Amino acid sequence: MSVLARSFESAAQKQGTIVFPEGNDPRIIASAHRLATEQLARPIVLGKQDRVLAAAEEAGVDPSGITMFDPAESEELERYASTYRQGRTLKESIALRMVKKPLFFAGMMVACGDADTMVAGVSNATATVIQAGVLTVGFAEGIQTPSSFFLMVLPSTSDQDERCLVFADCAVNIDPSAEELADIAIASARSAAKLLSDPPRVAMLSLSTCGSASHPHVEKVTNALEIARSRDSSILIDGEFQADTALVAKVAAKKVKHASEVAGQANVLIFPTLDAGNIGYKLTQYLADAKAIGPFLQGFARPISDLSRGASVDDIVATSAVCLAQT
Amino acid sequence: MSDSVLDRVKRVVAETLEIDAGSIDDAARFVEDLGAQSIQSVELVAAFEEEFDIDMDDDEALAVKTVDGAVEFIAAAVEKQHG
Repeated sequence: MSVLARSFESAAQKQGTIVFPEGNDPRIIASAHRLATEQLARPIVLGKQDRVLAAAEEAGVDPSGITMFDPAESEELERYASTYRQGRTLKESIALRMVKKPLFFAGMMVACGDADTMVAGVSNATATVIQAGVLTVGFAEGIQTPSSFFLMVLPSTSDQDERCLVFADCAVNIDPSAEELADIAIASARSAAKLLSDPPRVAMLSLSTCGSASHPHVEKVTNALEIARSRDSSILIDGEFQADTALVAKVAAKKVKHASEVAGQANVLIFPTLDAGNIGYKLTQYLADAKAIGPFLQGFARPISDLSRGASVDDIVATSAVCLAQT
Repeated sequence: MSDSVLDRVKRVVAETLEIDAGSIDDAARFVEDLGAQSIQSVELVAAFEEEFDIDMDDDEALAVKTVDGAVEFIAAAVEKQHG
Protein backbone atom coordinates (compact mmCIF):
# COMPACT_ATOMS: atom_id res chain seq x y z
CA MET A 1 0.00 0.00 0.00
CA SER A 2 1.35 3.47 -0.85
CA VAL A 3 2.33 5.93 1.84
CA LEU A 4 -0.60 8.17 0.96
CA ALA A 5 -3.11 5.31 0.95
CA ARG A 6 -1.82 4.26 4.38
CA SER A 7 -2.15 7.83 5.63
CA PHE A 8 -5.72 8.10 4.38
CA GLU A 9 -6.57 4.78 6.01
CA SER A 10 -4.97 5.88 9.27
CA ALA A 11 -6.81 9.23 9.18
CA ALA A 12 -10.14 7.50 8.57
CA GLN A 13 -9.54 5.23 11.55
CA LYS A 14 -8.46 8.03 13.88
CA GLN A 15 -11.17 10.54 12.97
CA GLY A 16 -8.98 13.29 14.35
CA THR A 17 -9.74 16.99 14.58
CA ILE A 18 -7.92 19.29 12.16
CA VAL A 19 -7.96 23.04 12.64
CA PHE A 20 -7.55 25.27 9.58
CA PRO A 21 -6.75 28.87 10.59
CA GLU A 22 -7.04 30.24 7.04
CA GLY A 23 -10.79 29.90 6.54
CA ASN A 24 -10.99 32.87 4.18
CA ASP A 25 -9.44 30.81 1.39
CA PRO A 26 -11.89 28.85 -0.81
CA ARG A 27 -9.39 25.95 -1.07
CA ILE A 28 -9.49 25.52 2.71
CA ILE A 29 -13.25 25.32 2.98
CA ALA A 30 -13.35 22.96 -0.03
CA SER A 31 -10.72 20.74 1.64
CA ALA A 32 -12.54 20.81 4.98
CA HIS A 33 -15.74 19.86 3.17
CA ARG A 34 -14.06 16.91 1.46
CA LEU A 35 -12.42 15.69 4.70
CA ALA A 36 -15.80 15.81 6.43
CA THR A 37 -17.86 14.20 3.65
CA GLU A 38 -15.28 11.45 3.07
CA GLN A 39 -15.18 10.90 6.85
CA LEU A 40 -11.42 11.35 7.06
CA ALA A 41 -11.42 13.92 9.85
CA ARG A 42 -13.41 16.43 11.85
CA PRO A 43 -12.39 19.79 10.37
CA ILE A 44 -12.64 23.11 12.19
CA VAL A 45 -12.33 26.24 10.07
CA LEU A 46 -11.37 29.56 11.65
CA GLY A 47 -12.38 32.94 10.30
CA LYS A 48 -15.03 35.60 10.39
CA GLN A 49 -18.32 33.95 9.46
CA ASP A 50 -19.16 36.21 6.52
CA ARG A 51 -15.68 35.71 5.04
CA VAL A 52 -15.78 31.91 5.47
CA LEU A 53 -19.27 31.72 3.99
CA ALA A 54 -18.13 33.82 1.02
CA ALA A 55 -15.17 31.43 0.56
CA ALA A 56 -17.58 28.45 0.69
CA GLU A 57 -19.74 30.04 -1.96
CA GLU A 58 -16.71 30.69 -4.15
CA ALA A 59 -15.61 27.08 -3.67
CA GLY A 60 -19.13 25.86 -4.45
CA VAL A 61 -19.50 23.79 -1.28
CA ASP A 62 -22.18 23.59 1.39
CA PRO A 63 -20.48 24.50 4.68
CA SER A 64 -23.37 23.42 6.92
CA GLY A 65 -21.62 20.30 8.25
CA ILE A 66 -18.35 22.06 9.07
CA THR A 67 -17.56 23.62 12.44
CA MET A 68 -16.47 27.21 11.92
CA PHE A 69 -16.01 30.20 14.18
CA ASP A 70 -14.16 33.47 14.63
CA PRO A 71 -11.33 33.02 17.14
CA ALA A 72 -11.68 36.66 18.25
CA GLU A 73 -15.12 35.78 19.64
CA SER A 74 -14.20 32.44 21.20
CA GLU A 75 -14.91 31.71 24.86
CA GLU A 76 -11.55 29.93 25.02
CA LEU A 77 -9.46 33.09 24.51
CA GLU A 78 -8.65 33.67 28.18
CA ARG A 79 -7.77 30.01 28.78
CA TYR A 80 -5.52 29.95 25.71
CA ALA A 81 -3.91 33.29 26.63
CA SER A 82 -3.22 32.03 30.13
CA THR A 83 -1.64 28.82 28.81
CA TYR A 84 0.28 30.77 26.15
CA ARG A 85 2.07 32.97 28.71
CA GLN A 86 2.74 30.17 31.19
CA GLY A 87 6.31 30.34 32.43
CA ARG A 88 7.01 33.60 30.59
CA THR A 89 6.96 37.30 31.48
CA LEU A 90 4.56 38.24 28.69
CA LYS A 91 1.75 40.66 29.64
CA GLU A 92 -1.72 39.13 29.72
CA SER A 93 -3.06 41.72 27.29
CA ILE A 94 -0.34 40.85 24.75
CA ALA A 95 -0.97 37.12 25.18
CA LEU A 96 -4.67 37.74 24.56
CA ARG A 97 -3.84 39.69 21.44
CA MET A 98 -1.56 36.88 20.23
CA VAL A 99 -4.11 34.09 20.66
CA LYS A 100 -6.75 36.11 18.82
CA LYS A 101 -4.61 35.68 15.70
CA PRO A 102 -6.02 32.67 13.83
CA LEU A 103 -2.63 30.93 13.43
CA PHE A 104 -1.90 31.27 17.12
CA PHE A 105 -5.44 30.35 18.16
CA ALA A 106 -5.18 27.22 16.02
CA GLY A 107 -1.78 26.44 17.54
CA MET A 108 -3.25 26.79 21.03
CA MET A 109 -6.10 24.46 20.10
CA VAL A 110 -3.47 21.84 19.24
CA ALA A 111 -1.35 22.67 22.30
CA CYS A 112 -4.37 22.34 24.60
CA GLY A 113 -5.61 19.12 22.98
CA ASP A 114 -8.70 20.72 21.42
CA ALA A 115 -7.43 19.74 17.96
CA ASP A 116 -5.03 17.02 16.84
CA THR A 117 -3.24 18.99 14.16
CA MET A 118 -3.10 22.38 12.44
CA VAL A 119 -2.85 22.70 8.67
CA ALA A 120 -1.90 26.19 7.45
CA GLY A 121 0.27 28.03 4.97
CA VAL A 122 -1.93 28.90 1.97
CA SER A 123 -1.92 32.54 3.03
CA ASN A 124 0.90 32.68 5.60
CA ALA A 125 4.65 32.51 4.98
CA THR A 126 6.50 29.39 6.16
CA ALA A 127 8.42 31.45 8.73
CA THR A 128 5.14 32.73 10.18
CA VAL A 129 3.65 29.23 10.47
CA ILE A 130 6.85 27.96 12.11
CA GLN A 131 6.90 30.91 14.50
CA ALA A 132 3.30 30.23 15.56
CA GLY A 133 4.11 26.53 15.94
CA VAL A 134 7.14 27.17 18.14
CA LEU A 135 5.30 29.66 20.36
CA THR A 136 2.14 27.57 20.77
CA VAL A 137 2.68 23.84 20.20
CA GLY A 138 6.40 23.97 21.06
CA PHE A 139 9.11 21.48 20.21
CA ALA A 140 9.02 17.71 20.62
CA GLU A 141 11.04 16.28 23.50
CA GLY A 142 14.76 16.68 22.92
CA ILE A 143 14.35 18.85 19.80
CA GLN A 144 15.11 22.56 19.50
CA THR A 145 15.10 23.01 15.74
CA PRO A 146 12.05 23.21 13.50
CA SER A 147 12.68 21.44 10.21
CA SER A 148 10.89 19.83 7.30
CA PHE A 149 10.80 16.63 5.33
CA PHE A 150 9.56 15.35 2.00
CA LEU A 151 8.10 11.92 1.33
CA MET A 152 9.74 10.79 -1.91
CA VAL A 153 7.80 8.04 -3.64
CA LEU A 154 9.88 6.21 -6.26
CA PRO A 155 7.94 4.37 -8.94
CA SER A 156 8.15 0.59 -9.14
CA THR A 157 10.66 -0.92 -11.56
CA SER A 158 11.08 -4.41 -13.03
CA ASP A 159 13.07 -5.51 -9.98
CA GLN A 160 11.68 -3.31 -7.24
CA ASP A 161 8.27 -2.35 -5.87
CA GLU A 162 7.33 1.29 -5.28
CA ARG A 163 9.56 2.71 -2.54
CA CYS A 164 9.10 5.61 -0.18
CA LEU A 165 11.94 7.55 1.40
CA VAL A 166 12.12 10.52 3.74
CA PHE A 167 14.40 13.41 2.64
CA ALA A 168 15.34 16.19 5.10
CA ASP A 169 15.80 19.08 5.44
CA CYS A 170 14.82 20.35 2.02
CA ALA A 171 12.89 23.50 2.93
CA VAL A 172 13.69 25.21 6.25
CA ASN A 173 17.28 25.25 7.63
CA ILE A 174 19.76 26.75 5.16
CA ASP A 175 23.04 25.76 6.83
CA PRO A 176 22.27 23.79 9.98
CA SER A 177 24.96 23.42 12.65
CA ALA A 178 25.94 19.94 13.85
CA GLU A 179 23.48 20.31 16.74
CA GLU A 180 20.70 21.38 14.38
CA LEU A 181 21.54 18.60 11.93
CA ALA A 182 21.26 16.09 14.80
CA ASP A 183 17.82 17.53 15.61
CA ILE A 184 16.81 17.17 11.95
CA ALA A 185 17.98 13.54 11.93
CA ILE A 186 16.12 12.63 15.13
CA ALA A 187 12.93 14.41 14.04
CA SER A 188 13.12 12.72 10.61
CA ALA A 189 13.53 9.28 12.20
CA ARG A 190 10.40 9.94 14.27
CA SER A 191 8.45 11.18 11.23
CA ALA A 192 9.53 8.14 9.21
CA ALA A 193 8.58 5.76 12.03
CA LYS A 194 5.02 7.07 11.86
CA LEU A 195 4.71 7.08 8.07
CA LEU A 196 6.91 4.47 6.39
CA SER A 197 6.04 0.79 6.36
CA ASP A 198 9.63 -0.20 7.25
CA PRO A 199 11.58 0.92 10.33
CA PRO A 200 13.60 4.10 9.71
CA ARG A 201 17.25 3.65 8.72
CA VAL A 202 18.81 7.10 8.82
CA ALA A 203 21.84 7.98 6.67
CA MET A 204 23.81 11.16 7.36
CA LEU A 205 24.81 12.20 3.85
CA SER A 206 28.07 13.85 2.93
CA LEU A 207 30.59 14.25 0.14
CA SER A 208 32.63 11.66 2.07
CA THR A 209 32.12 8.04 3.14
CA CYS A 210 33.56 6.96 6.51
CA GLY A 211 36.44 9.43 6.46
CA SER A 212 37.28 9.22 2.73
CA ALA A 213 37.60 13.02 2.70
CA SER A 214 38.68 15.46 5.36
CA HIS A 215 36.97 18.84 5.50
CA PRO A 216 34.99 20.94 8.02
CA HIS A 217 31.82 20.10 6.04
CA VAL A 218 32.47 16.39 6.66
CA GLU A 219 33.32 17.05 10.30
CA LYS A 220 29.96 18.78 10.78
CA VAL A 221 28.15 15.65 9.61
CA THR A 222 30.20 13.27 11.79
CA ASN A 223 29.65 15.56 14.78
CA ALA A 224 25.91 15.60 14.09
CA LEU A 225 25.92 11.79 13.92
CA GLU A 226 27.61 11.55 17.32
CA ILE A 227 25.20 14.07 18.86
CA ALA A 228 22.15 12.27 17.43
CA ARG A 229 23.39 8.91 18.73
CA SER A 230 24.06 10.35 22.18
CA ARG A 231 20.60 11.92 22.31
CA ASP A 232 18.63 8.92 21.11
CA SER A 233 20.35 5.54 21.04
CA SER A 234 17.22 3.80 19.77
CA ILE A 235 17.56 5.23 16.24
CA LEU A 236 19.24 3.20 13.47
CA ILE A 237 21.52 5.94 12.20
CA ASP A 238 24.90 5.85 10.48
CA GLY A 239 27.29 7.87 8.34
CA GLU A 240 28.92 9.81 7.09
CA PHE A 241 27.92 8.31 3.75
CA GLN A 242 27.84 9.44 0.16
CA ALA A 243 24.39 8.92 -1.32
CA ASP A 244 25.35 5.76 -3.23
CA THR A 245 26.76 4.17 -0.07
CA ALA A 246 23.54 5.01 1.76
CA LEU A 247 21.30 3.53 -0.92
CA VAL A 248 23.10 0.78 -2.84
CA ALA A 249 24.01 -2.45 -1.01
CA LYS A 250 26.85 -3.35 -3.42
CA VAL A 251 28.52 0.05 -2.97
CA ALA A 252 28.03 -0.09 0.78
CA ALA A 253 29.63 -3.56 0.92
CA LYS A 254 32.75 -2.17 -0.74
CA LYS A 255 33.03 1.14 1.10
CA VAL A 256 31.77 0.48 4.64
CA LYS A 257 34.02 -1.74 6.69
CA HIS A 258 32.04 -1.71 9.94
CA ALA A 259 28.77 -3.54 10.55
CA SER A 260 25.98 -1.16 9.58
CA GLU A 261 22.23 -1.59 9.62
CA VAL A 262 21.90 1.55 7.51
CA ALA A 263 24.54 1.46 4.76
CA GLY A 264 23.04 0.31 1.48
CA GLN A 265 19.51 0.21 2.88
CA ALA A 266 18.80 3.74 4.11
CA ASN A 267 15.24 5.03 3.81
CA VAL A 268 15.78 8.36 5.58
CA LEU A 269 18.35 10.68 3.96
CA ILE A 270 19.66 13.61 6.00
CA PHE A 271 21.32 16.22 3.79
CA PRO A 272 24.10 18.39 5.23
CA THR A 273 22.64 21.68 3.96
CA LEU A 274 19.48 23.04 2.43
CA ASP A 275 21.36 23.44 -0.88
CA ALA A 276 22.02 19.71 -0.98
CA GLY A 277 18.55 18.76 0.28
CA ASN A 278 16.62 21.01 -2.03
CA ILE A 279 18.70 20.09 -5.08
CA GLY A 280 18.58 16.41 -4.09
CA TYR A 281 14.82 16.19 -3.83
CA LYS A 282 14.23 18.04 -7.08
CA LEU A 283 16.74 15.86 -8.98
CA THR A 284 15.03 12.75 -7.61
CA GLN A 285 11.65 14.18 -8.53
CA TYR A 286 12.51 15.03 -12.10
CA LEU A 287 15.22 12.54 -13.09
CA ALA A 288 13.87 9.49 -11.25
CA ASP A 289 10.22 10.39 -11.84
CA ALA A 290 9.61 10.31 -8.10
CA LYS A 291 6.57 11.89 -6.50
CA ALA A 292 7.57 14.50 -3.92
CA ILE A 293 4.95 14.87 -1.18
CA GLY A 294 5.45 17.75 1.20
CA PRO A 295 7.21 19.56 2.64
CA PHE A 296 5.88 18.70 6.10
CA LEU A 297 7.08 20.43 9.23
CA GLN A 298 8.64 18.29 11.95
CA GLY A 299 10.24 18.66 15.34
CA PHE A 300 7.09 19.96 17.03
CA ALA A 301 5.36 18.42 20.03
CA ARG A 302 2.34 17.67 17.82
CA PRO A 303 2.20 17.53 14.03
CA ILE A 304 1.52 20.79 12.21
CA SER A 305 1.97 21.53 8.56
CA ASP A 306 2.98 24.31 6.26
CA LEU A 307 1.21 24.24 2.91
CA SER A 308 2.68 25.93 -0.11
CA ARG A 309 0.78 29.03 -1.18
CA GLY A 310 -0.12 27.32 -4.44
CA ALA A 311 -1.50 24.18 -2.76
CA SER A 312 -4.50 22.57 -4.46
CA VAL A 313 -7.46 21.03 -2.63
CA ASP A 314 -5.95 17.59 -3.35
CA ASP A 315 -2.65 18.75 -1.79
CA ILE A 316 -4.41 20.11 1.29
CA VAL A 317 -6.46 16.94 1.81
CA ALA A 318 -3.36 14.74 1.39
CA THR A 319 -1.34 16.93 3.77
CA SER A 320 -4.15 16.72 6.30
CA ALA A 321 -4.18 12.93 6.07
CA VAL A 322 -0.38 12.72 6.50
CA CYS A 323 -0.57 15.05 9.52
CA LEU A 324 -3.32 12.96 11.10
CA ALA A 325 -1.39 9.75 10.41
CA GLN A 326 1.37 11.18 12.61
CA THR A 327 -0.90 11.87 15.60
CA MET B 1 3.68 66.76 26.94
CA SER B 2 2.94 63.16 25.94
CA ASP B 3 5.74 60.80 24.97
CA SER B 4 6.81 60.81 21.33
CA VAL B 5 6.19 57.77 19.14
CA LEU B 6 9.94 57.08 19.37
CA ASP B 7 9.88 57.08 23.19
CA ARG B 8 6.85 54.80 23.26
CA VAL B 9 8.38 52.41 20.69
CA LYS B 10 11.56 52.23 22.78
CA ARG B 11 9.56 51.59 25.96
CA VAL B 12 7.63 48.73 24.33
CA VAL B 13 10.84 47.24 22.90
CA ALA B 14 12.51 47.49 26.31
CA GLU B 15 9.59 45.79 28.06
CA THR B 16 9.20 43.04 25.48
CA LEU B 17 12.89 42.23 25.10
CA GLU B 18 13.60 42.93 28.79
CA ILE B 19 16.38 45.42 28.14
CA ASP B 20 17.08 49.01 29.29
CA ALA B 21 15.19 51.60 27.20
CA GLY B 22 18.10 54.02 27.59
CA SER B 23 20.42 51.64 25.78
CA ILE B 24 18.33 51.59 22.59
CA ASP B 25 19.68 53.68 19.70
CA ASP B 26 17.23 55.13 17.22
CA ALA B 27 18.78 53.14 14.38
CA ALA B 28 19.17 49.90 16.38
CA ARG B 29 18.30 46.68 14.60
CA PHE B 30 15.96 44.42 16.59
CA VAL B 31 17.74 41.15 15.97
CA GLU B 32 21.40 42.10 15.47
CA ASP B 33 21.69 44.98 17.97
CA LEU B 34 18.96 44.36 20.54
CA GLY B 35 19.20 40.59 20.73
CA ALA B 36 15.60 39.90 19.71
CA GLN B 37 15.06 36.28 18.76
CA SER B 38 13.20 36.17 15.45
CA ILE B 39 10.61 34.18 17.36
CA GLN B 40 9.86 37.22 19.56
CA SER B 41 9.24 39.59 16.67
CA VAL B 42 5.58 38.63 16.31
CA GLU B 43 5.02 39.37 20.00
CA LEU B 44 6.77 42.71 19.53
CA VAL B 45 4.28 43.50 16.76
CA ALA B 46 1.41 42.61 19.13
CA ALA B 47 2.92 44.84 21.81
CA PHE B 48 3.06 47.77 19.36
CA GLU B 49 -0.55 47.14 18.34
CA GLU B 50 -1.53 47.23 22.00
CA GLU B 51 0.43 50.39 22.80
CA PHE B 52 -0.83 52.37 19.81
CA ASP B 53 -4.28 50.76 19.49
CA ILE B 54 -3.68 49.85 15.85
CA ASP B 55 -3.82 46.72 13.72
CA MET B 56 -0.81 45.88 11.62
CA ASP B 57 -0.38 43.31 8.88
CA ASP B 58 2.02 40.74 10.39
CA ASP B 59 4.01 40.12 7.21
CA GLU B 60 4.44 43.85 6.50
CA ALA B 61 5.26 44.67 10.11
CA LEU B 62 7.78 41.83 10.38
CA ALA B 63 9.64 43.26 7.40
CA VAL B 64 10.58 46.28 9.58
CA LYS B 65 14.00 45.59 11.06
CA THR B 66 14.98 48.74 13.00
CA VAL B 67 13.66 51.00 15.76
CA ASP B 68 13.41 54.07 13.51
CA GLY B 69 11.80 51.89 10.82
CA ALA B 70 9.19 50.83 13.37
CA VAL B 71 8.55 54.46 14.36
CA GLU B 72 7.89 55.40 10.75
CA PHE B 73 5.71 52.31 10.12
CA ILE B 74 3.68 52.82 13.30
CA ALA B 75 3.24 56.58 12.76
CA ALA B 76 1.83 55.83 9.31
CA ALA B 77 -0.52 53.16 10.70
CA VAL B 78 -1.71 55.51 13.48
CA GLU B 79 -2.32 58.30 10.97
CA LYS B 80 -4.26 55.92 8.69
CA GLN B 81 -6.32 54.29 11.44
CA HIS B 82 -6.84 57.20 13.84
CA GLY B 83 -5.95 60.28 11.80
